[in-house]
Amino acid sequence: MTVANERAPLLEIRGLSKRFGSLRALDGLDLHVPGGGLTALIGPNGAGKTTAFNCISGALRPTGGSVRFEAREIAGAPYHQVARLGLVRTYQVVQPFAEMSVLDAVTVGALLRRPHVAEARAFAGSTIEALGLGPKRDIIARSLTIADKKRLELARALATEPRLLLLDEVMAGLTPTECAAAVELLREIVARGITIVMVEHVMEVLMPLADHVVVLATGKVIFDGKPSEAVNDSRVIEAYLGRP
Amino acid sequence: MTIRSHLNVLGIVATALIALALGYHNAFVLNLVFVGLVFAVLGQSWNWISGYAGQISFGHALFFGCGAYASALFAVHHGSPWLGLLAGAGVAAILAVTVGFPCFALRGHYFSIATIAVAAIAEITATNVDALGKANGFEMPILPAGLGTLQFTEKGHYVLVALGLFVVAQLATIALERSRLGFYLRAIRLNQEAAASVGVDARAAKLTTYAACGALAALAGSLYAQQALYVGPEDTLGLPISIAIALVGVVGGLSTVWGPALGAFVYVALARYGGAKLGGTGNGVDLLLYGALILIIVSWRPDGLAGIVHSIRRSMKRRVVEPST
Amino acid sequence: MDFGPLPQLVVSGILTGLLFALISVGLTLIFGVMDVVNFAHGEFLMLAMYLTFGLALIGINPILALPVVSVLMFVLGALVYRVLIRRLLAGPPSAVVFGTFGLLVFLQGAAQYLFTSDFRSVPNPPFQGTLHLGSVNLGEAQLVAGFGALLLTALVFAFVEYTEPGRALRALSEDRVAAQLMGIDMQRMNALAFGLGIACVGAAGTLLMLTYQAYPRVGTEFALTAFVVVALGGFGSVQGALAGAVLVGLVEVLGGFYISPALKMVPVYLLYLLVVLVRPQGLLGRR
Repeated sequence: MTVANERAPLLEIRGLSKRFGSLRALDGLDLHVPGGGLTALIGPNGAGKTTAFNCISGALRPTGGSVRFEAREIAGAPYHQVARLGLVRTYQVVQPFAEMSVLDAVTVGALLRRPHVAEARAFAGSTIEALGLGPKRDIIARSLTIADKKRLELARALATEPRLLLLDEVMAGLTPTECAAAVELLREIVARGITIVMVEHVMEVLMPLADHVVVLATGKVIFDGKPSEAVNDSRVIEAYLGRP
Repeated sequence: MTIRSHLNVLGIVATALIALALGYHNAFVLNLVFVGLVFAVLGQSWNWISGYAGQISFGHALFFGCGAYASALFAVHHGSPWLGLLAGAGVAAILAVTVGFPCFALRGHYFSIATIAVAAIAEITATNVDALGKANGFEMPILPAGLGTLQFTEKGHYVLVALGLFVVAQLATIALERSRLGFYLRAIRLNQEAAASVGVDARAAKLTTYAACGALAALAGSLYAQQALYVGPEDTLGLPISIAIALVGVVGGLSTVWGPALGAFVYVALARYGGAKLGGTGNGVDLLLYGALILIIVSWRPDGLAGIVHSIRRSMKRRVVEPST
Repeated sequence: MDFGPLPQLVVSGILTGLLFALISVGLTLIFGVMDVVNFAHGEFLMLAMYLTFGLALIGINPILALPVVSVLMFVLGALVYRVLIRRLLAGPPSAVVFGTFGLLVFLQGAAQYLFTSDFRSVPNPPFQGTLHLGSVNLGEAQLVAGFGALLLTALVFAFVEYTEPGRALRALSEDRVAAQLMGIDMQRMNALAFGLGIACVGAAGTLLMLTYQAYPRVGTEFALTAFVVVALGGFGSVQGALAGAVLVGLVEVLGGFYISPALKMVPVYLLYLLVVLVRPQGLLGRR
């Protein structure tokens, strides 16, 4: 998959809107994500972060706006179709295949690019190893710890060989040690050329990791720039703490 | 179960039935075995859509009747049913896709009701169309015995053909469980949204499965018609047939390779004692027993007879670690 | 101006529809409150018809039998909920489908075994006369059955709209979690809903015996029609069931006359497929 213009962003969102009845969850979202690197998507609760992920990935149909992935319009495209194009998301509350073994669950992901079961299984196996779940490959998903379930969900997503990964609060519920390990993992994924957009609340973790921070509040982007600048921006502070 | 153990069981069953078909000339018993094999195939085809794909069908007689009528028509008008077998399977697959396409995007009960509705339309149509013999159906002429006409003087030969279809159905199921489609169906059943998030097209997977199972059920129907030398709407398209197919699947155990065969065995055995023919329209005792059996299984043992057998095997093999499929 | 048989057919269709409404209201209520499609619904109709027949044999005519059968069916429904449905709800969604299917098979088998396949009709049925209103000839029995069904459906609607337990049922129907958080006892309400649903179909069975006969498979014939009605009206909507039922009644009667009596159910079943294709939520449904 070659991008015609090297400078064109991998993901280009313009005026993305989503209404639930009279509630405007997303109100004209504009976002450009360049290829490569890690973009952090932060904002107070109810800002619309998960809704944005749902609309971008196709899990929900946006009420308006455009989403261009690799110069191709995908707004309103079926959920599974978007995943096939290389844009995959993980869930805030993990959604495992509860009765499947770790290996089988990741194989489901691997089958997207490798229709041959044996090949898919082998690739799933190596993905599992890379994420440190090797010794647990035959364990049934529902008996894993939260941290391992999150790793599994990440492994499953990676097995589809995505170009862009949307991670929704992947650090939530992890201990500091587990967080540190997760950060290392994310660094490796980015090093492999996969672009990441991640929603996160754990600010300290994000700052050294992110190349680019976008702050969402009431369904709109209120800041888009470097992490170091975000903490000092008055609009960001106001969004989180309210007007003094 | 591993592929090897499946093949072992299949080999034993097939050998035993071949011996029976060629050696034991009791027409009554052979007929029972034949009906049992036909129902095992029907139950397996039902298992693909209602078990593996999780979309419960209560109108499976549609495909059975489709195959029966198609092969019978070709036998009557062209002297050989073989093209009819293909036509029946083809029409069944098309019907499957037509019904499944709108329904698979909705909640499960829409599909279940649709299967009943479509089967009912088919039965009413067949009952009222002259070319299909209306309510009385029609008989097939007795043709010289042989594979070409798919008619045999020896009951045992029918059993052999049915066994062939049964073996095909079992092998296909074993392959399905280990195939990409099989993985996808399992994922869809466990968490359809998560499956979609990694590129699984649930509707396409279900449509493929439904089309295949329609074709298989149609073949079973064609075979049945050839043996009975008669097709009629009540015998092949009626709701009692759909109910019988579903209960074979449920009693035997859904989403298992050997469940339908076990369920068919119980069905034929009980039907014999209930004194009923294909549709179970005898004195109702067999239905009563099946109904009670289903209620017990659903409340206590959802994986049916196959699940019970599996547990027994597991407790016997306590020391050996079973490799994953 | 002579409209030919049309007025007769329309009235007949509406009366037929009203009876379907009573059957379907029970089905839609059960679905609305506990998300269960009762595949055995028709079998309860059949049971009520046999019960009515039995009572008629000992001298109780269907009109007198109506309250008796309704109460008995309510109790039966609540019992079936407690013993079976409640347990099924704790399992995977397929358990409910197979459970009600198993119930269907069991009840049909029981009926066949206990009552044989003979057709049974109420001896000396009341309302044997015919009313003549212009060009329309109406059997008294059909009229009484239709209006009885309308009355009872209205009663159910009033119960759901204006009484406290009825409102609790509606709350559960709209948001199960919120309703429970507000202190509604879900198990008790489920039992109530199921009992009420079966009472409705039971009453319909009694009224049906004014014009029809009981046989083991009568339930499955009406059940499919009830599913069409509920889908058309919208799963969970009581008003939808009424509207859908009248429409289906009209389609059946008009189809039977203008196409062929043997094919009268085909347009009804095709209507279901049309609803699924074009507007799955039905006329007034939410889900």
